Amino acid sequence: MKDFFKHNGILILVIAALLALIAFLASFLLGGTANPLSNVLGVITTPVRNGVNALASWVEEQYTNAFESDMIREENERLKQENARLQEEAREAQAALRENERLRNLLGLREKRRDLVFESATVTARAAFSWESTFTISKGSDADIAAGDCVVDDYGNLVGVVREVGLNYATVTTVIDSSINMGALLERTDDAAILEGDFALMTEGKLKLTYLPENTELMAGDTVLTSGMGGVYPSGIVVGRIEQIHTDVSGMSRYAVIVPEADLAGLKQVFVIKDFDIVE
Amino acid sequence: MTRRDFLIKWAVYGVALLPVWFLEQFVLNRFPILGAVPMLLPLAAIATAVLEGSAAGAGYGLAVGVLWDACALHSGGVIILGLTVLSMAAGIAAQYVLSQGFAGCLICSAVTLAIIDAARVLVGLARGEEALALLRMAGVEIVWSLVFVFPIFLLYRWIHSRTEVSTLF
Repeated sequence: MKDFFKHNGILILVIAALLALIAFLASFLLGGTANPLSNVLGVITTPVRNGVNALASWVEEQYTNAFESDMIREENERLKQENARLQEEAREAQAALRENERLRNLLGLREKRRDLVFESATVTARAAFSWESTFTISKGSDADIAAGDCVVDDYGNLVGVVREVGLNYATVTTVIDSSINMGALLERTDDAAILEGDFALMTEGKLKLTYLPENTELMAGDTVLTSGMGGVYPSGIVVGRIEQIHTDVSGMSRYAVIVPEADLAGLKQVFVIKDFDIVE
Repeated sequence: MTRRDFLIKWAVYGVALLPVWFLEQFVLNRFPILGAVPMLLPLAAIATAVLEGSAAGAGYGLAVGVLWDACALHSGGVIILGLTVLSMAAGIAAQYVLSQGFAGCLICSAVTLAIIDAARVLVGLARGEEALALLRMAGVEIVWSLVFVFPIFLLYRWIHSRTEVSTLF
């Protein structure tokens, strides 16, 4: 028995090759659905993920209570002052804007975009892999979530896109991941462009806006929205703001560096857009 | 070694993978250093290969590869075959060229991590990513991962010492 492995070294290699082939075919054929083994592992580890997440949140809360209370009090004071200033500004704003703001505060995200069908979910785990920006959420195919669904934060800012769906969990690729590629619209100028992930920018928590129209005057702070072109993603979702504008190495075209509006590092609750009205 | 001892031995090796996997998947991913999360699962496969030899290492590498591919990497099966071959090679290198101790494990781990990350860098380059950013990430990830070679090797050496001839569990 002790020589089992010695006599079966080549057999192990053959088994590994076969399993690799099966895994490749499964990932190729199933698309955005988790393969059976991943699904079983994902379902089994869901309580562990939830438990670790709950424990981490509790530890974070205790740490905050114990060590950051002075800082939070100061920040709270500052926020109160800022809040008062913003309220003053809001009172002076146009009637339509006031109405809009009031409705947003009162009705919340679901009512802000009646054309979108949301499913709320909790972020349960972060990527355990350095080369991508992903996280796991607490809902999966049992909540009708599908690969390709957009995910937003509680302010309606784009967080990412569902990459793979298991029974009771889903993996979300964030907007800064190097694989992201989607149509965008500049809110101020109404110009179309393409949002692209970039590995170097991903490590800084940012992404790229490319294929910018030649005559567009871009400004730092311009808001970038999803364009909704092609009907794959909903339109008008805030992605982020332009931080810098660069000319590429060839000197022929420009690209902008975008800072996502969503706080990707601090996400706890997200909303998956399961359905939306297609804008042509 | 009896069939019972053999089964207990590899069951214990299987159980040893759980804390390593838990640490990688649920704990250390919350504390990335310069954006890098350490790779612990290949270190477990290499430690086993160094201690148990090439064929046993390949078997363990295969199991670790399946687990890693299913729960985190989604490499389309590449890592299953890759980790099997790398574990087998580490076992051979430790048996005939290096030593079956910590130094051999450290060298084999470093080479294995470098090969895995070289593949990632090549994929990134093929996608048109910036080479410097890819290399920086690979460097940080390898160094951060190597920090864990010692505790993982200690864990596996302890299991090895209690299962070498017959199981003491």
